[in-house]
Amino acid sequence: MGHVGDGAAGRRILVAEDEVLAAMAIEDELLREGYEVMLAPDGQAALDAARASMPDLLLTDLRMPRLDGAGLIRALRALSPGLPVVVMTGYAPSGGVEAFRGVGEGPVALFTKPIDMDALLAELRGLLAARDGG
Amino acid sequence: MFQFLPALAPELYAAGFCLTGAADLVWLHLLSDLAIGVAYLSIPATLALLLMRRRDVAYPWLLGLFVAFIASCGLTHLMHASAFVAPMPEVAGLAKAFTAAISVATAIVLWPVLPRLLAMPSPAALAREVEERRAAEARAQASEARNAALLANMAEAVFVLRLEADGGFTLESANPAFERIFGLKLSEVVGQRAEAALPAALLGLGLPHWRACAGGGLNCTYELEAETPAGRRAWQTALVPLRDETGRVARLLGSARDVTATRRLQAGLVQSARLATVGTMCAGLAHETSQPLNAALLWLRTARAEAARLPAEAAVKLARALGVVEGQLRRTGELVGRIRALAGATDAEAAVFDASQAVAAAVRTAGGQYAPEGIELAFDPAREALPVRGAPARLEQAVLQLLANARDAVAERRAAEPEAPARIAVALRREAGQVVVEVRDSGPGVPEAIREAMFDPFFTTKDPGRGIGLGLPLAAGVARGMGGGIESWNLAGGGACFRMALAPAGASAVAA
Repeated sequence: MGHVGDGAAGRRILVAEDEVLAAMAIEDELLREGYEVMLAPDGQAALDAARASMPDLLLTDLRMPRLDGAGLIRALRALSPGLPVVVMTGYAPSGGVEAFRGVGEGPVALFTKPIDMDALLAELRGLLAARDGG
Repeated sequence: MFQFLPALAPELYAAGFCLTGAADLVWLHLLSDLAIGVAYLSIPATLALLLMRRRDVAYPWLLGLFVAFIASCGLTHLMHASAFVAPMPEVAGLAKAFTAAISVATAIVLWPVLPRLLAMPSPAALAREVEERRAAEARAQASEARNAALLANMAEAVFVLRLEADGGFTLESANPAFERIFGLKLSEVVGQRAEAALPAALLGLGLPHWRACAGGGLNCTYELEAETPAGRRAWQTALVPLRDETGRVARLLGSARDVTATRRLQAGLVQSARLATVGTMCAGLAHETSQPLNAALLWLRTARAEAARLPAEAAVKLARALGVVEGQLRRTGELVGRIRALAGATDAEAAVFDASQAVAAAVRTAGGQYAPEGIELAFDPAREALPVRGAPARLEQAVLQLLANARDAVAERRAAEPEAPARIAVALRREAGQVVVEVRDSGPGVPEAIREAMFDPFFTTKDPGRGIGLGLPLAAGVARGMGGGIESWNLAGGGACFRMALAPAGASAVAA
């Protein structure tokens, strides 16, 4: 874990995931990486949390109660244009990443479950670095 | 000048005249009798000539009587004339008697014949009748031409089979649709014995039906599907037995309707419905399984991080145990990925690409694997670019699945018959507006009972460890995603053919 703190300090990641066990493990990993983590059990809770404090990146499931992933992305992008998004899903939407072109401007990465956590962490670093660069 | 005439007095009396001293009157009678005599001989002569030349004259015997009657009248008049010079009363009397006899006979027979003569058509009536017949003939010819045009332009193949004395059949005639549907040149097959005119596979399928129809003498209908020189065809045939004057079935009149497109559409719909159901099930299964798997793998990561902090020996043991757990979970994860792929979902972006290259790549990959196993892999590539829309890698995967299936079939047959041919032939072509990949193998063929089930996920006839039954469903899912489908049938010479059809994309959009 030599890279703890590399650009992660103070970065806030909003995790929207209704599977509590998965959410807890992801929170653990992100905290270990030095990120601040906001955990939400569904889309609506995530949106409410973001309204209180806008995250730097959204890590979200697609299928969730109350407000689904696509709705959440659209709502957050309206508040924070260009917000980077990482989608985690048990489905593989046809068209892949292309399917998210209609939910507002900004980078999207797609991960199918079970998630390769190392690849996910690398993606988060890349997206956040790109945001700083832009 | 006529001093000799009084000597003729008895003859003249006999003739009922008294011409003594009337020289002018004598000349009048003499010349008139001569003229009438000559004319009365000339007229029957022309009639006799007519009778000889025109054998079709009605009542020739009546005309013959007329000839005899007129000629004898002429003779009588000549006898009259001769009486002025050298009277021959006996001869003249006999001639008159003969004339009387023949006149009376003619007069008698003429009355009964009269109604029949009256009933005979007049020349005008005959002309009218001839005209009517000509018109009817023209109508018949026009109708025949219409029928011929109808037959020539019919969508259905119409043919006539003649029964031969040895029980065989000859293709007596066929219309252009026959050539179109079956790809058999009329100039080469019409007039030929069926075994010479038709490919063995077609003959083998048709013959039992022809025999049944000819033997039973009843109409029969049947549907067949086979390889023809025009490609794979499905057709419905109706046979009608035609009998000769003795009541024996001498010919079969057949009409065949091409139902290839309909059958393909129906099969496609059935397959689509099945795959849609399967797709929904697979998507749900993948989603539901991936959730706990995801959580388990995430927690396993935490566990492995914690285990690293334990004392060395315990850490090694635990790491090994957790490694096994992770390995098994990842294996399950891969399975979930394959099931997810079945649902038709793909991460790859759809693009227009040349199917030739993807298929050639799959053939190259498989060829390298199969050659050491002694399996011959032949490839008949397309002569042109075949643009399709989808993901090249997925098409390559799909073709590899078809090839793997063919390979397993060949291996299965060779296990039972070591001398059996081990051959897989791949052909790529444009056919009927579709891009078609055909994989033919020399395996045992597909049992009819599993023909549809083999496209269901997890259906497999292979030994444990040889396949989990996702190959063909995956290939079918790819084909469906590319606007087509897969159908299969057994080949006449053994083995099976899997035909993957894909919708073509606009040729102009092919990426370089």
